[in-house]
Amino acid sequence: MIRFEKVTKTYPGSGSPALDQVSVDVEKGEFVFLVGQSGSGKSTALRLVLREARPTSGRVYVAGKEINRLAGWKVPRLRRQIGTVFQDFRLLPNKSVGENVAFALQVIGRSRADIRSVVPETLELVGLEGKADRMPDELSGGEQQRVAIARAFVNRPMILIADEPTGNLDPSTSVGIMKLLDRINRTGTTVVMATHDHGIVDQMRKRVIELEDGRVVRDQARGAYGFQH
Amino acid sequence: MQLRYVFTELGQGLRRNVSMHIAVVLTLFVSLTLVGLGLLLNQQADKAADQWGSQLQITVWLCKDDDDNPRCTGEVTEPQKEAIAQAIDDNPEAESHYFETKEEAFEKIKELLGPERFEGPNPAATVDDMPQSAWITLEDPNEFEGITSAVQGLPGVSSIRDAREVLQPIYGSITALKYGAWGTAAFLVLAALMLVANTIRLAALARRREIGIMRLVGASTLYIALPFLLEAIVTAVVGVGLAAGALGAFMWFGIHERAATGLTFMPWIGLPEYTTTVLAIGVLGPVLTLLPTLLLTRKYLKV
Repeated sequence: MIRFEKVTKTYPGSGSPALDQVSVDVEKGEFVFLVGQSGSGKSTALRLVLREARPTSGRVYVAGKEINRLAGWKVPRLRRQIGTVFQDFRLLPNKSVGENVAFALQVIGRSRADIRSVVPETLELVGLEGKADRMPDELSGGEQQRVAIARAFVNRPMILIADEPTGNLDPSTSVGIMKLLDRINRTGTTVVMATHDHGIVDQMRKRVIELEDGRVVRDQARGAYGFQH
Repeated sequence: MQLRYVFTELGQGLRRNVSMHIAVVLTLFVSLTLVGLGLLLNQQADKAADQWGSQLQITVWLCKDDDDNPRCTGEVTEPQKEAIAQAIDDNPEAESHYFETKEEAFEKIKELLGPERFEGPNPAATVDDMPQSAWITLEDPNEFEGITSAVQGLPGVSSIRDAREVLQPIYGSITALKYGAWGTAAFLVLAALMLVANTIRLAALARRREIGIMRLVGASTLYIALPFLLEAIVTAVVGVGLAAGALGAFMWFGIHERAATGLTFMPWIGLPEYTTTVLAIGVLGPVLTLLPTLLLTRKYLKV
């Protein structure tokens, strides 16, 4: 589903590469943690999958396509197959919960009838039934992140990318979010999650890829956050 | 594609940045009016040149039957015309020349004074009343004495009109006005371009959350840029409309009601010239707003 072949990414003006000869293969339906310190290259790796950046050398494949060769106008189509969740939720404050989720479908041109049926379904899936008309600032952090996940998942993407989704949440709320991501993973969606959160990684016992200074130092099935555990 | 979102966004964009949009519309309005004015003056100069000859031309009226000049002994003959043509060709001050027939002269005067005066049982003049003429184009507008004296005394020549004395100030002021208008317009166009650029920058900033999310969920670049492009078109259309109105007022009050009724010795521009001008600014206006919009949306909304 996602494949990195000797991927190196150097940002202009910085000496050492953000990613250095990284080769990784993520199968369809996998749940993968991407761990490592700040600046280890996690975010760069996620940006490459979304084609927000292009590798300096090497190849990135998503769903069988080499995406660094993708023409610019085809990038939106790639992104429709990938849902994205961030630490800071990125909701639109002037739109209600339902509108926030619907927005993702509106702007890719889905019909109103489609949107009307699929948005409540998705809100129910993330555990926000009955809150479609609330505004984001009336919700708790955990609920806001659920809205963001609903928005990422409403188009039923093949891949869900989560960049520190629990970074702003307390541990008990984080557990709820992880359960939700796990449930989404069970529908066959590939989930890649970058995180700092030891507790979560240890608890979930999923595949762990650890980056250090842009290199893969560990790739372990059913791993824990660090060797010290 | 769901256009409802695009139009909601267009409305919001226009309202959110209303002062910026007004600034764009006003600069666009004034600059397009000046550009249009320059175009109209240009066409006016061309029209005057058709009638009077350009600054480089002098006109030699040839004898006709019943000529006012006593030296004329009747309509100019072919051998006389050939002799005149020879004299002009031999003169180094003349670059070229051509003869105008009675019919051509008649058409011109009909156009100048209106055809209705030359119809019916009692016309102001007929074809036969018109003189033939030779139009000489000079090498240098300041050297004309040699050619004038060479042609002056030839048989068949009635008189020489050197309209340059009259025309030079008129052409001079038309040219000065034209370049003045275009020069000022150039600065305003620059201002308009920058205002458009700033408006887009502000709008992109105000909408950066939406735009960020649209990019993430895979909205197409066109879909993201569409509200900006529509805003550009709306401001352009309003600017062009205002400019067309101002030019129309100039045409009506300045040309039609004043100049054309008071100064009939000159042909004046009318509806066809106005239409051409409005078409020209109608193209220029949208280009001026769309060009920076296309460039900047590529920059700010890059996927």
